[in-house]
Amino acid sequence: MADLFLIARIAGRTVAIGSNQVDSVVDIGEVIPVPRAGHEVRGLAALRSRVVTVIDTCAALGLPPSDGPTARAVITLVDGHHYAVLVDSLEDVAPFATLPFASGVALDGGWARVACGVVERDGDAVLAIDLRSLIPGQLAAE
Amino acid sequence: MDDLLQEFIAETRETLEALSGEIVMWEADPSDRQRLDAIFRFVHTVKGSCGFLDLPRLSRLSHAAEDVLAAVRSGDRIPDTALVNAVLAIVDRIGEIIEAIDVGTALDDSGEDLLIAALAEGAGQSTISGSEALNVASTQPGRGATRSVRLSVDLLDRMMSGMSDMVLARNELARRLRDEAIDPTIESALERLSLTVAEMRDTVTRTRMQKIDALFSALPRMVRDTAAELGKTVALTIEGADVELDREMIEMMRDPLVHIIRNAVDHGIEAAAERIAAGKCETGRLVVAARQSGNQIIIEIADDGRGIDVDRLIRKIAASGDRSEAQLRALSESAKLDLIFEPGVTTKSEVTAISGRGVGMDVVRANIEQIGGRIALSNAPGKGLTIAIHVPLTLSIISTIVVGAHGQRFAISRQSIEEIVTVRGDAVRVDMLGDTPIANVRDRRLPLVFLCSTLGLNGAMPQPELLAIVSVAGGSYALAVGEVLDTEELVIKPAPPAVMATGLYAGQTLPDSGRPMLLLDCAGIAAAAGLQFGRAAVVDDPVVEVAPVKAADSALLFVDLDGVRRVARLAAIDRVEPVPAHAIRFSAGKLRLSVGDAIVPLATVLADDAIHQIVERPEVSVLRMADGRSEIGYVIAEAIDIVTLEHEVMPADEPALVAGVTSIDGDQVEVLDMHWIFSACADPGKHMRAEPPLCLLAGAELGWMDAFLRPVLEASGYRVVTSPDPDQPVAAVLAMAEDHALPAAGAPVVRLRREVSGDGDSIYRYDRAALLEALSARCARAV
Repeated sequence: MADLFLIARIAGRTVAIGSNQVDSVVDIGEVIPVPRAGHEVRGLAALRSRVVTVIDTCAALGLPPSDGPTARAVITLVDGHHYAVLVDSLEDVAPFATLPFASGVALDGGWARVACGVVERDGDAVLAIDLRSLIPGQLAAE
Repeated sequence: MDDLLQEFIAETRETLEALSGEIVMWEADPSDRQRLDAIFRFVHTVKGSCGFLDLPRLSRLSHAAEDVLAAVRSGDRIPDTALVNAVLAIVDRIGEIIEAIDVGTALDDSGEDLLIAALAEGAGQSTISGSEALNVASTQPGRGATRSVRLSVDLLDRMMSGMSDMVLARNELARRLRDEAIDPTIESALERLSLTVAEMRDTVTRTRMQKIDALFSALPRMVRDTAAELGKTVALTIEGADVELDREMIEMMRDPLVHIIRNAVDHGIEAAAERIAAGKCETGRLVVAARQSGNQIIIEIADDGRGIDVDRLIRKIAASGDRSEAQLRALSESAKLDLIFEPGVTTKSEVTAISGRGVGMDVVRANIEQIGGRIALSNAPGKGLTIAIHVPLTLSIISTIVVGAHGQRFAISRQSIEEIVTVRGDAVRVDMLGDTPIANVRDRRLPLVFLCSTLGLNGAMPQPELLAIVSVAGGSYALAVGEVLDTEELVIKPAPPAVMATGLYAGQTLPDSGRPMLLLDCAGIAAAAGLQFGRAAVVDDPVVEVAPVKAADSALLFVDLDGVRRVARLAAIDRVEPVPAHAIRFSAGKLRLSVGDAIVPLATVLADDAIHQIVERPEVSVLRMADGRSEIGYVIAEAIDIVTLEHEVMPADEPALVAGVTSIDGDQVEVLDMHWIFSACADPGKHMRAEPPLCLLAGAELGWMDAFLRPVLEASGYRVVTSPDPDQPVAAVLAMAEDHALPAAGAPVVRLRREVSGDGDSIYRYDRAALLEALSARCARAV
C-alpha cells in the first residue's frame, strides 16, 4: 500500500514527508525574529492572513543552525498552529510504500527522533520523517 | 431591558429547541440522570432570568418545576409518568409564554395552577394529568417574526480572516501601484476600495466585540432587586466595564455571572443584624471588576460576606452519601473549596426563590469551562469570598500600543499601560540604586526594566528615553522602550507553544503592515526581569511615595525684577500674589505694599529708590512670607515653576539678599536668603496678631447676621462663630438691642438696632463704620 510522499532535502539529506502532514509548500518572505525563543524558532512570517512560525530545521535536528537564506518551506498544521518547516529544496511528489528500518540500523542524533520509516526511491533508501517531531514544544505529544 | 428580554427570549427558545430531544428521551427513560440534569438546568436558568427580568408567571412555573426536579435528583421522588408529564407540560407552557412575550400578546393564565398542582406527589391519578392541563391552557399563539439572526462564531471567524486577507491584498496592490506611474482614475478607484475595506473591517470587527458593559449594565438593578427581596442592602461597585470581550464570551458569561452574584447576595452577604454583630458595615459590599491580564480577561466578583464554611460543606457532602467525612477532610484546602462545584451541593439549608440548591455552581463551572475558561475561588471565612473567572482573550481584539525595541516592533496591551513618559528634567528621571537603575516618575519610584535587554536584543544598557509605565498584578514598573510608534487595534491570536514557552509573549498578530508582531506579556516581562511584587508592597506603594524631605527642597523659580531667574525656598513662602503696581509705594524709608488697610514691607533686588521700575510694570507679583511674627513681601516680575533643588547650594561670600547659587537644568540660579531678607526688611516693632479675635453672633437676628455681617466681619479680620465653643474665648458678642439671654456671658456685647436713629447703647445695623469701630474698641478692651 503506497502513500503520497513529498521528497525534500533537509540539511543536505533527502527525506520523504508524508503528504498528509503537508498543508502547502510556500516561499517564505521576511521572517520576524522572536527574541528569547529557542533557536529552533527562526521567527514568524506572514502567510496570507496567517502568521506561521518558521522552524529552522537544522536546529530542530540538533545540527548547527543553517545560516543560508530562508526560502522554501513546508507548511504543516500542528494543534491548530501553522508552522513553516524550512527545507533546502523540494524534489518530487510520488507515492511510496513505507518500509520498516533494516534491523540493526541506529540513526544519528536528531534524525532518530524524527524518523518514522524508510521509503525506497529508484533503489535508494530515503528516510521518511515526521514533521510534528520537528516542532518544539510538541515532544510530549505523540 | 428590551435587549435583555430579547436575548432571554432568543436564548430560551434556542434551549427549548435543543431540549426537545432530551425531553423525549427523558420521557422514554425517566431514570436517565443526564437528561434530568439538562432539564433541571433549563428550568433553573429560566427561573434565574425571570426573577431578574420580572416575569412572575414564568418564575412561578419554573420554580415549581425546579422543586420537583430537585426532589427527583435527591432521590426523594420517583419520576413516574405523571410527574414526567407534569414537568413536560410546564416546559411546554414556558415555551408558549416565551412566544407570547415575543409577539406581545396576552396569554390566558388559567390552567397554570392546575399545571403546578399536577406536579404534587400523587397528583397523577387524582387530578387532571399534566397533558390534560396543558390542553386546557393552550391557546397556541402565532410565533413572532425574528428580528435578529444568530450567527455561528465560526462564520464570523471566517469572515474575519477573509477580511484580513482582503486588507493585505489591498496593501499589496497599493504597493505595486505606487511603484509605477498610475492613472488617476485607478488611483481614485483604489482609494474607494481602501475606504470600503476599512469600513468593512470595522464592521466585521464589531460583529465580534462587545464591551463587557453589556454584561455589567444589568447588574445594579439585579443586585438591588435581589437584595431587596432578601431584606439586605448591598452596595455594588463595578470596575472595568469598558474591557472588550468576544460577543460569544459575553453571552456565555451572562448566566454564570448572574448565578454567582445571586449566590453572593443570598448566601455570601449576611443579614444586616448578623453583619453588625460581626463588626462589619451594615451594607454589604459587592465588587465586580473586569480586567485584562496577559491573554486573559479576568472577571472578579468579590463580596465581604461570610465566605464559604468549608466544614459545613464537608458535613453536607458526607451526609449525602458518596464519600466519608474523613475522606473529604483529607483533601487539600483548595480541593475542599472546589467541593462547592459538586452537583447538588449547597451551603444553605432552606431554598429561596433566588438561589438555593448550589446548583448554580456546577452549572457555572460547566459554562465557563465550555469557553475554555476557569474559575478560581479565594475564600476568607467570615470576611468574604472572591470568585475570579478567567476567560481566554483568544480572538479578542485589543487596543495596543506599538513600541519599537532594537528595530523590531512589539505590541503592548494598552490597558496595562498607565502612561508613557519621556525621561526629561527632574519630574521623570532615572536614579541609580547601587548598580540598579530605577525610574523616578514625579516622585514615584518604580523598578526599571529595559525591553531590549530583557528580550536579549543587545547587551549594552542604553540610556533610556521613553518609559512606558506598566501596571501588572501587584504593582507597576517602568519599561524602557526604544520608541513608541503607534496605537493599533489588533486581533490577537494565540502564539504556538514554542513561542509561549519564553513566557514573554501573550500572543501574536498580523497588523496591516503584513509583518507579524508579538504581543508582550507585561507580567511575563516583569518576571523575566526578576521583579517581585509582594502584596505588602502594593499597599505601601502610595504611602511611601510621599517623601517629607521634599518640602524643604522644593523651591519657586521666578524671574526677578532685574530679569534674572532666581529661586526661593517654597517652605518660607506663604503665597504668591499678583498685585497692582500702584499698591506699592516708597514710604517711611521703605517699599511698602498696601493690602487693604494693612501695610506690608517689601524687599526687592533693586535699590530702594528704584520704585519707578516697579510702577512702570502693569502688574507685579509679590511673594508673601511670614515668620509667625512679622510679614513681608518680595517683589518679583513673574513666577515660573516649582522646582526641586537637587544640587548643592554654593554659599555666597557675604550674607546678602542672595544666599548662594545652585544649578538647575545646568543653569546657575541664585537662591534667595530668607533670613537676611527678614532681618533687613521686617518692621521690628510690628506684631502680627497671633489669632484674629473671635466674634460670636447671637440673638434673634442670627440668620441676618450670618448672611450680612459675617462677610463684613471676616473681611475686617475677625473670626466669626454662631455658637460658643468653650475652648475659644469670645472677644465680643454681636446681638440685637432687645436680645437678653446671651451666651458667652462676660464678653463685651455690641448691640445693634434696626432703626436708623436710636439711643447710644446700640448701633444701626447698616452703619458699617460705627459697627466696626465699636467692635474694635470692645475687642481692644477685652485683650
